[in-house]
Amino acid sequence: MKGLIDFLNVLLPVLYITTFIFYYLDFMKGGKVFSNSKRLLLFLTLIFHLFYLLFRTLYFEHPPITNVFEIFTVLAFAVGFSYFILELLTDIRGTGLFIIIISILFQLISSFFIQDLVAVKDVLKSNLLGIHVFSALLGYSAITISAVYGFLYLILYKEIKLNKFGLVFNRLPSLEVLEVLSFYSAVIGFILLTFAIIIGIIWLPKAFPDFSYADPKLIGTSMVWILYGIGIASKVFGKWRGKKVVTLSIIGFVLAIASTMLTNFLAQSFHSFY
Amino acid sequence: MNLSAISINHRSAPVELREALHLSEEEIAELVEKIKGSLFKEGLVISTCNRTEIYGFAVEKTTLPEIEKVLIGHKSLLNIKADNFQSFHSFSAIEHLFRVAAGIDSLLIGDNQIFKQVKDSFQLAEDLNFSGVLSKRIFDAAIKTGKRAINETLISEGAVTVSYAAVQLIEKIFSNLSKKSALIIGAGETGEIAAKHLRDRGIGRLSITNRTIERAEKLAASLNAKIIPFGNFKDYVYDYDIIISATSASGLILSKEDVENAMKRRNYASMVLMDIAVPRDIDPASKKIDYVFYHDIDSLNIIVEQNLAKRRDEIPKVEKIIKEELESLIGWYNSLEAGPTIKSLREYFEIVRAEEVDKNKNRFTDEDQEKLDIITKRIINKILHHPMVELKKLSGEGKNSDEMAARISIIRELFGIDKNNNEEDSK
Repeated sequence: MKGLIDFLNVLLPVLYITTFIFYYLDFMKGGKVFSNSKRLLLFLTLIFHLFYLLFRTLYFEHPPITNVFEIFTVLAFAVGFSYFILELLTDIRGTGLFIIIISILFQLISSFFIQDLVAVKDVLKSNLLGIHVFSALLGYSAITISAVYGFLYLILYKEIKLNKFGLVFNRLPSLEVLEVLSFYSAVIGFILLTFAIIIGIIWLPKAFPDFSYADPKLIGTSMVWILYGIGIASKVFGKWRGKKVVTLSIIGFVLAIASTMLTNFLAQSFHSFY
Repeated sequence: MNLSAISINHRSAPVELREALHLSEEEIAELVEKIKGSLFKEGLVISTCNRTEIYGFAVEKTTLPEIEKVLIGHKSLLNIKADNFQSFHSFSAIEHLFRVAAGIDSLLIGDNQIFKQVKDSFQLAEDLNFSGVLSKRIFDAAIKTGKRAINETLISEGAVTVSYAAVQLIEKIFSNLSKKSALIIGAGETGEIAAKHLRDRGIGRLSITNRTIERAEKLAASLNAKIIPFGNFKDYVYDYDIIISATSASGLILSKEDVENAMKRRNYASMVLMDIAVPRDIDPASKKIDYVFYHDIDSLNIIVEQNLAKRRDEIPKVEKIIKEELESLIGWYNSLEAGPTIKSLREYFEIVRAEEVDKNKNRFTDEDQEKLDIITKRIINKILHHPMVELKKLSGEGKNSDEMAARISIIRELFGIDKNNNEEDSK
């Protein structure tokens, strides 16, 4: 099984890149051939990815959530899967390549640096931790999608303002749709992150009796959570709209990713597990 | 094929002549009454604001100038010249009809309104008993060609008029027009078209303001819209998501300050300003305001030009479809000769006979099976004898004349010969 896991580890970036190429060709050229095959290709890529995650879980006897590179592959899957569901539900097809590129980045980093951890610390063998990580990852994938739609909103906004009616104008959905997709993804992300934080607060004192509230990961996550809270509240109460809300969503996403990377590589945090 | 056609269109005649020659349904009916039997056995008249065309299977010795004369006489037009007519004969007439139905002969390439107008003309020809076996088959092929052009190519995609481009642009900003409101400033022709487009797209709330109130009232009544007094329309601007301005005013009627005030009142909810007037009605500096999407006729023309270029790129694909359909029609027409029909009819009867004999032969002894074969063959030969003699006689009278083709077409249709052949091919 180890050989199969290693093979899939190499295959997955190739599959994501191939899927991206089909989404790119559909975006550039249109036509039924690419339009139908790209969705099938994404589906197959996600199936392979699901098997990869299952094989890793079975072979290493723990779910792939114990270090940042395992988390990145789960995140790549979660982003791709969330988009796939979104595409099926809304039939908005012009935005896939901008989201799949995020999956490619996460998967490439994961495939290059992932390590085969057989022995896992006892502290990580907890059901509460499983729920915490699961909801946090889904939350992160939601805010990733929110940021991508926010970014697309800004591009289309600028193009329309400047009378540029090229591919972006022709292929993307309307500004209102992009804003709604970005906002609802942010709301879903915020709810899931809130849930993850609550579970974390319950589990943390049990797992690390000597933890500190000044932990960089806790500070980073709190900042992201507050930022999204402010953005959502402002939008709901009608104070902010459009550009301001989506910019906040993009900043939140960058902060979330930076916080995850920094706590695992630079700072000393209880979230760094190897 | 003795099909003739004359056409007056944007390539052959100026707009005044095209307009003057336009025929209403009643006028077409009168014209058909005149030409049916005397000039044509069967045919078709198409008349839109941009083209008037007559197609028909001529009775003997009918010449194209005669047809032109009847049309000119029908509309009492004297200043028309022979150069203003385009004429086509036989399969080139059919090809021209296919090009018209597919929208590539239109002034506005890919105009899909013409497809509907051609279809309506076919229906009218049928209602007036002006269509026959051959023309019906040609109409069907033309409709198929038009449908294929629309479905299989992008020839009708994208907005190619300024007012429609404005609506396309609005739909890139707002997703659901039923929840939006629009104010049309100026009830002239441009404003009217834009208002109609918005109504067709299901705009939630529509209001009209115009310097002359009567004109605004007339348009508002036809589009179920509200009227805003022109004198103080600026006070209402904030209440609309879309402003389309198309007045003939000589200067600006909406300043940047007016727009800024409106945006403040609507808490900077997105607003689209479409200035399709020449000279412009709205201060272009308004585009600098956040969430204001200001576009004038130049920016809308960019969309129109892009879409027209895309449509032009699709012409070769449409021409390929026309070629395929024309070849198929020519193939069908050539099959309407007596020889191939006799052969097809014999084959058809033989297949039916052989199938039935095969199904039932076990009920007979070996000796009787042979007799069964002979008897059934003899029955078929007897049944077919008279039709075969008649077909050969037709062939002798005038090979491949349209009348013979029409009769043979009926025979082929009655026995489903072409249908059976197509089924065999598709297997």
